[in-house]
Amino acid sequence: MNCPVCKNPMIILELDRVETDFCTQCGGIWLDAGELELLFEDSHHGRRLVDSFHPEHDIKEKPRPCPICLKKMQKIHIGEKNTQVLIDRCPKGHGLWFDKGELAQVLTKGNFDKERKVIKHLSEMFSHKESEGKK
Amino acid sequence: MWEQIRANKRNSILLLMLMAAVLGLLGWIIGMSVSPDPRAGYFGVGVALIIWFILAVVSFAGGDAIFLAASKAVPVTKEVHPQLFDVVEEMAIAAQLPVPKVYIINDPAPNAFATGRNPQSASLAVTAGLLGRLNRDELQGVVGHEMSHILNRDILFVTIAGVMLGTITLLSEVFLRGMFYSSMGRRYSSRDRGGGQAQAIMLLIAILAAILAPIMATLLYFAISRKREYLADAGSARLTRYPEGLANALEKISQNTTQLSVANKVTAPMYIVNPLQKEGMKLSDLTSTHPPISERIKILRGMAGASFADYSDAFSKTTKHATVIPSSALQDDTAVQIRTGSTQPAESAKNQARNIGNIMQQVAGFSILTCACGLKMKIPPNFKASQVKCPRCGTVQPIS
Repeated sequence: MNCPVCKNPMIILELDRVETDFCTQCGGIWLDAGELELLFEDSHHGRRLVDSFHPEHDIKEKPRPCPICLKKMQKIHIGEKNTQVLIDRCPKGHGLWFDKGELAQVLTKGNFDKERKVIKHLSEMFSHKESEGKK
Repeated sequence: MWEQIRANKRNSILLLMLMAAVLGLLGWIIGMSVSPDPRAGYFGVGVALIIWFILAVVSFAGGDAIFLAASKAVPVTKEVHPQLFDVVEEMAIAAQLPVPKVYIINDPAPNAFATGRNPQSASLAVTAGLLGRLNRDELQGVVGHEMSHILNRDILFVTIAGVMLGTITLLSEVFLRGMFYSSMGRRYSSRDRGGGQAQAIMLLIAILAAILAPIMATLLYFAISRKREYLADAGSARLTRYPEGLANALEKISQNTTQLSVANKVTAPMYIVNPLQKEGMKLSDLTSTHPPISERIKILRGMAGASFADYSDAFSKTTKHATVIPSSALQDDTAVQIRTGSTQPAESAKNQARNIGNIMQQVAGFSILTCACGLKMKIPPNFKASQVKCPRCGTVQPIS
C-alpha cells in the first residue's frame, strides 16, 4: 500500500497484535476500516469517536487519494469543538488517514481517557517521533 | 473409480471434438455471411479449425498456467504455511497421488481450486482468506475435495472446457461487435447485387449463432461441473474420513461476503464454491456451476459413514434424486468409519482477520523486522530505503 501523500510504499507496524500502516517519510498513519473500532476493544467508545466525525466541505487542504481505491478522500473533523482535528476518510469506507501527529492529537485532546490502554498503546507505537518533534 | 476416470478422459476428447464442430460451424456461418460464395464458408471453417487446433495445444500444454496466472496464484514454499503443506501431503498419500504444486492466491475471500493436465502435473491453489479462516479439519476437507478433482481427472476436462468456452465467447463477441460497427456502412453500399437476400438470411443466422454459441457452451460447461462437485465432495469425505470437516468449511465459506476479485465467468466453475455468488442469491437455476451449498452441507452431515455408499444414500435422501455416484465406485467400495474430529477451539473473527493479513503479507514477500523495543515492522518488498527507523524507540535498523 502506498502513502497517499508521498506515494512511497508504507510499512506495517505491529505492537501487541495491533497493526497500523505507517509512512516512514512523512510520518502519516493509515487505519484500515474497522481498525479504529478494533483498537477500542469496547466498541462503544470507538463508536463515540466515530460519531464525532463530521465532514467538512470548504477546506483548502489538498484532497488525498485513498491508498486502496484511489478515490478522493473526504475531509473529516473529529472530536469535540476546540479540540477538533482534521483528518481524511475514504468515501467508500476503506479507512482513515492521519497526517503526522494527528492521531496522537485525536487521542490526547479528545475525551477518551477511559481508554487509556489504547491511547498508551498508540502513542507508544510512535513515541519516539512525538518526543523528538521533528524528523 | 476407474470407470469415472475413463469417462472423464473420454469426455475430454468428446468435448474437444464437440468444440471443434461448434467452432467450425460458427466459422462457416460467419464466412457465409460475409460472402455467399461457398469458398468463403470453407475459408471460415479453415480459420476456425486452425484456431481450435492452437487452442487444443495451448490447453494441453499450458491451460493450467493460464488459469493460475489469471487467478494471480503465487507458488509458495512450506515455510509460508506448514499446515497447508502437511494437509496436502496427507491427502496426496490418502489418494495415492503425487503431491501437487501448492499455490496461494492473495485474496481475503475464501476459495480453492485445482488444475493441471494430469495428476503428475497438478496444481492446487487456495486463497489466503481460506487459510486464515479454517481449522485443520476444515482445511483437510477442502484439500480432500480438490484432491478428488485431481484423482477423477476433472482438472483436465475443466481446463479444456474453460479454454474452449473462453474462445467461443471471445470469437462471438468480436464478431458481434464487428457487425455492430460495420452494419451502417454495408447497408448503403451498392456492393450487394442479386445474392443480397441469401446474404441477409445468412447474416441473421450468423448473429443468432454468435449469440447462441456462448450460451450453449456455458450451459454445457455448467451442467457437467455440478455433478463433479458432488462427486468431489463424496471423495473428500472418503479421503478424510470426516465429512463434518468439509461441511463446516463450506458453511464458513458461504458466510463470507467479500467477492473473490480474481475470479471471472470462465474460471468460476473451477473453484470449490462459486466465487461470483452474490449474497442472498439462490443458486438453483440452470446457470449455476455449483449445487446449492446448503444442499451440499446437508448431504455431508447426513452421512452415516464416510464411504461412497454412505454419500450416495445421504444424497438420495436429501435431494430426492437418483444418486450421482457411478455404480463402479459403489461396487468396489468398502465401509469407511467416520473418525472423530479434533477439538480445536474456534478462533475469533479478529484473530481470523489477523491470520489472513499475516498470510497475505508473507505471500507478498514482506520482510519482518522486530525492534529491540518490541515493535514489529513489516517491510513491503517494494520499499526503497535500505534502513528503517523505529518510530517507537528511534533505533535505526538495516533492511536485509
